Amino acid sequence: MKAGIALLAGLFLLLTGSGARADKMRIQVWHQMIYGHRQVLAEAIGEFEKENPDITIQATYRETEELRSSYQAAAMGGSGPELVYGPSDQVGPFATMGIIRPLEEVLPDTPWEHYDPLAIPLYEGRHYMLGALVGNHLMLIYNKKLLSTPPTTTDELIELGKKHTVDLDGDGKIDRYGLVFNYTEPFFIAPFIPAFGEPFMNENLQPNLNTAGLRDTFQFILDLRDKYRILPKECDYETANALFKQGKAAMLINGDWSWGDYKENKMDFGIARIPRVSSTGRWPRPLVGTAGYSLNANLKDPARLAATLRVLKYLTSEKVQALFTERVGTLPSLLSLREQEAVKNNPLLRVSSEIMDVGTPLPVVPEIRGLWDSLRTQYQKILAGSTTPSEAAKNAQSMAVAQIKDMNEILTPDASLGVVKLVILAGALALLWLLRKNALGFLKGFYGPQRFVYLMMLPAFIGIFAVIIYPFFYNIAISLSNFSLRTFQDWSLVGFHHYIATLSDPKFYSLFLKTVVWTLANVFFHVTLGVFLAVVINQVLPAKGFWRTLFIIPWAVPQYITALTWRGLFNQEYGPINLFLQQYLHLSPVQWLSQPVTAFLACIVTNVWLGFPFMMIVALGGLQSIPQSLYEAAYLDKANAWQRFRHITWPLLMPVMVPAALLGCIWTFNNLNIVWLVSNGGEPGDQTHILVSYVYKAAFNLYRYGYAAALSMLIFLILIGWSLGSLRAQFKKEQKS
Amino acid sequence: MIKRILAWLSVLLFAVFSIYPMLYVLGVSLRGDNAFQSQSLEILSASSTGKNFIDLFTQTDFLVWMRNSLWVSTVTTFLGVAFASTSAYALSRFQFRGRNTMLFSLLATQMFPPTMLILPFYIILSKLHLIDSFLGLFLIYSSTALPFCIWQMKAYYDTIPKELEEAAVLDGCSRWLTFYKIILPVSAPALVITALFSFMASWSEYVIAAVVLQDPQMYTLPLGLRSFQASLATQWGLYAAGALIVSVPVLILFISISRYLVSGLTMGSVKG
Repeated sequence: MKAGIALLAGLFLLLTGSGARADKMRIQVWHQMIYGHRQVLAEAIGEFEKENPDITIQATYRETEELRSSYQAAAMGGSGPELVYGPSDQVGPFATMGIIRPLEEVLPDTPWEHYDPLAIPLYEGRHYMLGALVGNHLMLIYNKKLLSTPPTTTDELIELGKKHTVDLDGDGKIDRYGLVFNYTEPFFIAPFIPAFGEPFMNENLQPNLNTAGLRDTFQFILDLRDKYRILPKECDYETANALFKQGKAAMLINGDWSWGDYKENKMDFGIARIPRVSSTGRWPRPLVGTAGYSLNANLKDPARLAATLRVLKYLTSEKVQALFTERVGTLPSLLSLREQEAVKNNPLLRVSSEIMDVGTPLPVVPEIRGLWDSLRTQYQKILAGSTTPSEAAKNAQSMAVAQIKDMNEILTPDASLGVVKLVILAGALALLWLLRKNALGFLKGFYGPQRFVYLMMLPAFIGIFAVIIYPFFYNIAISLSNFSLRTFQDWSLVGFHHYIATLSDPKFYSLFLKTVVWTLANVFFHVTLGVFLAVVINQVLPAKGFWRTLFIIPWAVPQYITALTWRGLFNQEYGPINLFLQQYLHLSPVQWLSQPVTAFLACIVTNVWLGFPFMMIVALGGLQSIPQSLYEAAYLDKANAWQRFRHITWPLLMPVMVPAALLGCIWTFNNLNIVWLVSNGGEPGDQTHILVSYVYKAAFNLYRYGYAAALSMLIFLILIGWSLGSLRAQFKKEQKS
Repeated sequence: MIKRILAWLSVLLFAVFSIYPMLYVLGVSLRGDNAFQSQSLEILSASSTGKNFIDLFTQTDFLVWMRNSLWVSTVTTFLGVAFASTSAYALSRFQFRGRNTMLFSLLATQMFPPTMLILPFYIILSKLHLIDSFLGLFLIYSSTALPFCIWQMKAYYDTIPKELEEAAVLDGCSRWLTFYKIILPVSAPALVITALFSFMASWSEYVIAAVVLQDPQMYTLPLGLRSFQASLATQWGLYAAGALIVSVPVLILFISISRYLVSGLTMGSVKG
């Protein structure tokens, strides 16, 4: 016992000790730079730290979407990194939330005219970001081994595409495509929209989607895929990239960030503008953006601010920009650098800036999120064949308008706020009244004979409730509030609005139904597979230990790895599942991930893989406790295998499997990882969501925290109700028997 | 005989189902060209190389992440076992006011969608100055693993006959000693399971670690691995190699405790 206490004390010292740091000033930078760029950043930081021994810079990488959500959370908590680096479209949301600061306030004498205007986006008349590079624009990349000159019009593109879409070995399967790109993502078709007609956003920065331009763009992509057949049937970013890198695609539409990868693979590639649309004679207009640094609005301490500004100036200085240009070939944002040798003599940059001439600035307003999201949803429905281009354009417009309205909505307290306050007050009083006896009993117990019990039990419960209670009440509070994009810093309680909105939305019920299907299907397969394997291993096979270990593998692998692996397995072009279907069963490949039903099926298969080992182990444990004599008796009675299972194994396994299945249902119902990662956030077209993934999307993609919190409270209540019900049923059954 | 063949066939089929995805990851990790996808079903090919594994240890901070992960997981496991074994014992052996409510509230903690806990977690941790400290992780990991561990420890204690303790008490043992000397040793299988669950909960957890840890020198393995995965430019080879190595300790753990695994996970008796 004493040794245990000493160990704990030592542990505590160790833990608290590790928090202490030297009193150097530490400036944090969060960024989403890709691998190659990160190494250049590290080098630049190293040099800065050598010259400025009083400052250390800590660069933290986060994936783009995660950078957004964790920066929001950090800024909410009143902290966060001093600088945040990311693409220019994060300026709008962050500025609206008030979590980044206008640079005019702290750097009044910045020579803005020295920068490419694209690198210093204005939001509501102010600069919130200092760009370090210009680019991120799409272009046509072509394999010079296959193609000497790139097409300049879409007619030529189709001609060349047809010529290069070939079946080399005559097995009826296309081995090389004319054109590949991540065409399921609206960002990649956006350049075509203004070339076919009007831009997708009007001068007032409102969505303009119900246009002939968008309908023609949709039709154009469909034609490329179905009429001219120069595009693969299913093609996400990774597939397009892999096809191009392996010489299995003549042309690719991709951004400037991808060059490094092709250079590393020693590819001979050229770049050009995306071909001019033949019917209108206009060039597609890729979105040109910047990636740059913004300043955290929570940064108040003057000394720290001064140091941060020094870092900011250094990271966007000529020296660092030149280093990036030299190493990874980015186009600097400082105009002075554009005249230097490194830029002028870089053939890729030369063509790239020519491409940029027909580009259009990437919109930075937060509304663009709603626009992309509705465009993606409708567009993927077209690709899956469940709607037509003109329907989709119409729906995309109305959906975008509705989403932007929801996003920008600032709710004001309504009559129900009074009710809310009353309910909370009544609830608190009732709780006190109910707990009065318990609390007294509890205190008495502490000095009575039960003292031991409390001492044993309390540490765990204090830990659990310390961690859970605050988040729980916090969620109740924001579910009754108007917490969203526009009220990020000063939200207030408004009433039951979100609950009413959710419960009167038919979407909620269809999602609920889908979640029930998801849960039942998963738990059913988990339990049946688990019991089946347990019985087979236990009764039939030699080397039980070996098989047991083999079947445990799926359990041992972290979920995020499982999810991405299965996404790879289901890939239409490269996935082993389709390769197997084609090579051994001679079936045509299935577009698993781009059809709503098969995509949902893919999620279920993945989760079944992940979950059956647990049930198998539980069942094996249950089987061990069944006395062998029962089977011997049954054998004497000439019961067959099925009868033995039906009348001995199954009834005796039930008491073990039921609680496991109950817990399994709760876990599966709330399993976000698999659905989110396998379907890539609800693709195609938001049709694979279950309730929790929808909550995630509402909160972190559309900034509707209040709504998401209300939805998660409903999920919680559903699960509480359901499990109370099933526990009671179980209890009754046991009392009867 | 036919039954035997059928049994073998189905087991082999499921064996393929359960290990193929990992072989696929192995295949990716051995490819030299940073390609996630390839049009062959072979795991090994002429161009296979161990370069990704070498790079993983020499070019990245993989060993640092490994050390952090081991540290975090070990402490979490220790805390999980200590707290779950004691409080489950109280819940299993003693009748007191609010016991059933407590049991149910444990189950209830599993019902709230974890997504919505991220933001409040961040807010508390930053108020307590626990951002960028392992202490915050220990607190959250052990508390989130506890509900399941307590449930399953309690179920195991329920199967131990009370006579065992009665005999010890007659011999003049205090209650703590009875628990410590008599009950704990016979509960070894359940303790092992509790340890395993606590370990797994912290070993592969990503979302909370991403909130708490910002200093790259403090990254745990899942965070480190995710840093190979940038949007639109993933280092697939390194990612796959890392994924395999991350799974290895868990597998070793599973194999070394497989003796206890089956007898320890008693899910019986839901009734309070």
